[in-house]
Amino acid sequence: MDFSVIADNLSYFLLGAWPHGPLGGAALTLVLSISSALASGALGLVLGVALATTHGPAHQGLVLALGFFRAIPVLMLIFWTYFLLPIVFGFNVPGTGTVVVALSLIGGSYLAHSVYAGIASLPPGQWQAAAALGLRRADALRHVILPQALPIMLPSFLNQWIALIKDSSLAYVIGVGELSFVATQVSNREMVYPTEIFLFVALLYFIICSSLELGAGAIARRYGSAEKQT
Amino acid sequence: MIRKFRFLALLALSALAGVAQADRLDDIRKAGVLRVAAFDSNPPFGFVDPKSKQIVGLDVDYARELASKLGVKLQLVPTNPANRIPLLSANKVDIVLANFTITEERAKQVNFSIPYFASGQQFIAKKGTLKSADQLGSLRIGVDKGTTNEIVLREKYPGATLVAYDDTPFAFTALRNGNVQAITQDGPKLIGLLANVPDKENYEIPPFSISDDLIGAGLPKDETRFTEYVNAFLRELEASGKAQKIYDAWFGPSTKTPLTRIFRIGDK
Amino acid sequence: MLDQLLAPKYVGWLIDGFYVTLAVSALASAAATVLGLLLCLARLAPTRWLAWPALAWLSLFRNTPLLVQLFFWYFGLAALMPQGLLEWLNTPHHWHLAFFGVRWPPFEYVAGFTGLTLFTAAFIAEEFRAGVRGVPPGQAVAARALGLRPWQVWRYVVIPQAFRIALPPLLGQYMNAVKNSSLTMAIGLAELSYASRQVETETFKTFQAFGIATLLYIGTVAVIELAGQWVQRRRPALGAVR
Repeated sequence: MDFSVIADNLSYFLLGAWPHGPLGGAALTLVLSISSALASGALGLVLGVALATTHGPAHQGLVLALGFFRAIPVLMLIFWTYFLLPIVFGFNVPGTGTVVVALSLIGGSYLAHSVYAGIASLPPGQWQAAAALGLRRADALRHVILPQALPIMLPSFLNQWIALIKDSSLAYVIGVGELSFVATQVSNREMVYPTEIFLFVALLYFIICSSLELGAGAIARRYGSAEKQT
Repeated sequence: MIRKFRFLALLALSALAGVAQADRLDDIRKAGVLRVAAFDSNPPFGFVDPKSKQIVGLDVDYARELASKLGVKLQLVPTNPANRIPLLSANKVDIVLANFTITEERAKQVNFSIPYFASGQQFIAKKGTLKSADQLGSLRIGVDKGTTNEIVLREKYPGATLVAYDDTPFAFTALRNGNVQAITQDGPKLIGLLANVPDKENYEIPPFSISDDLIGAGLPKDETRFTEYVNAFLRELEASGKAQKIYDAWFGPSTKTPLTRIFRIGDK
Repeated sequence: MLDQLLAPKYVGWLIDGFYVTLAVSALASAAATVLGLLLCLARLAPTRWLAWPALAWLSLFRNTPLLVQLFFWYFGLAALMPQGLLEWLNTPHHWHLAFFGVRWPPFEYVAGFTGLTLFTAAFIAEEFRAGVRGVPPGQAVAARALGLRPWQVWRYVVIPQAFRIALPPLLGQYMNAVKNSSLTMAIGLAELSYASRQVETETFKTFQAFGIATLLYIGTVAVIELAGQWVQRRRPALGAVR
């Protein structure tokens, strides 16, 4: 194996054509992941609360809509958003935007259920006690329910965000220059080093995902113990 | 613009087409940007230059000339073969310059300019494995998703086992690994590919082709004025000798891929 | 109206692709369940000679994208294999076992199946581990007290209970396997997404091709979901019988 191909193209793997062109490579993977992590987190929180507070047909409708996004393969959703949305609705989302939208919708749908489960796992007495203290439902949610439910949900948020980093590799199908895409470009040009290139790319993803896992684990431990002290 | 009701999506599409009467040529000038779909992995038509990290190639040179004639900035959108038509119909690009073979079927979906390049569908195989076209029916052959090569091969040699990849170099890697016994693409593209292969002495392009293809620019459907503009631009490029210059830069005698120019713009 | 429908030939392509999707994801799910259980046991083994390699294996496969893993198995590994082996893998082989003819599939299927199995197994192992952790420790202690050997404790007490706890997330992983199988189109495996792209290539009926494929995926996932709910509902009944 000859890893000089990695050294020769290192800046392209990490940054793409930047600073003489658009940002790409691992840096773009990070940008895509962070934006969709934030968006999916917000979406998951809002929809999860909506799941917990709605009843009847509205609840059923929401479950169905979330079910759609949980059931569709990411690859298909990226195709739909990128190629078909503009044709049907005349609504043009650029490539990077498409990936963020697709990943956030899917991630958000999964997270909504985690948030819902987290809220549902709290004893109903919590709601009642908050109401007895004169808190409105929104305030009860914000000050009583969510602070308790969020630590319970942290692992699922984490898993979802790691999944999201990995799924950002599917941006390659619509030519967004993130890590996997630039890697295939280089592999396609150099021809004879697919093993070296894909091992290196796997290593980069491994580093990104593991640091998230380890970092969040550390935060969870500290946060968890702080919870207990108060 | 009221078409008969067919399908919800198509209805929306036609409604939009009705609204979007504005001319694409004017839109490009107004935006100040020409969005061109070009290959990023297919030397010498379009590939990422290792030094500049920019997409360069024969098709890119045409794109650059067109943008400068229009007096607008050039924005290249990397594409693989399968994404070319979807990119055009989803209005992600204004024009496709990516070794785009003109066919009747495609012409129902997109407009084509006059051809600016000609080639034939050929094969690469390990030396000695492929002697004549008769063998094709019994081989495993790698093709690119969304190409005419795939369709032609399936029609003419139904016995062949086709394995479709996202782009030619993927197919070539599969050939190198032995996953397929031959791969097919337009001849000049294969020559460009082989020129960059480190162990090219192990491979050959057998001297037969199974189709004659004309390559044109792909444009949005029904954009007649834009199409005429591009046609005039191409003729002008030939008349001024620039087309020859671009050709020589990539296929001239001093390049890695010397190939005699058999087709001139305006021949067909 | 009629000219917007897909010709029967192309619907046939999509159905064929759908069968491949079902077959690959079912086989990969089955193999991943077995492998995942073994990985989970190794991960929980008292000796670090088993636990640590298992941990490394799990985090490696969980923390890299399936697409990159597939590229590695198909393009990367093949480049490392001796020439003869790959040629053997690529030539059709037939074996006759009693009444069944077994046909060796092309390398795309082998690589796709391997990639999907190893990826899914890593997630399933973690679901099992969560399941084992959900079994109250007193169960194992009680079983030991009853005189069961350690392997019997696992076989008859811990694993059956852990399996039940892990069943809903396990079904979730099977759904993921169905969806993730769409990525194998990048290595030329003729499954549903691949077929939808091919139909699109020939007919340009993008909506119809992707629409049908999407519906088939969603339908499959919905069926697994419903099966899961049905099993869930039957579970209390099962418990009552015992």
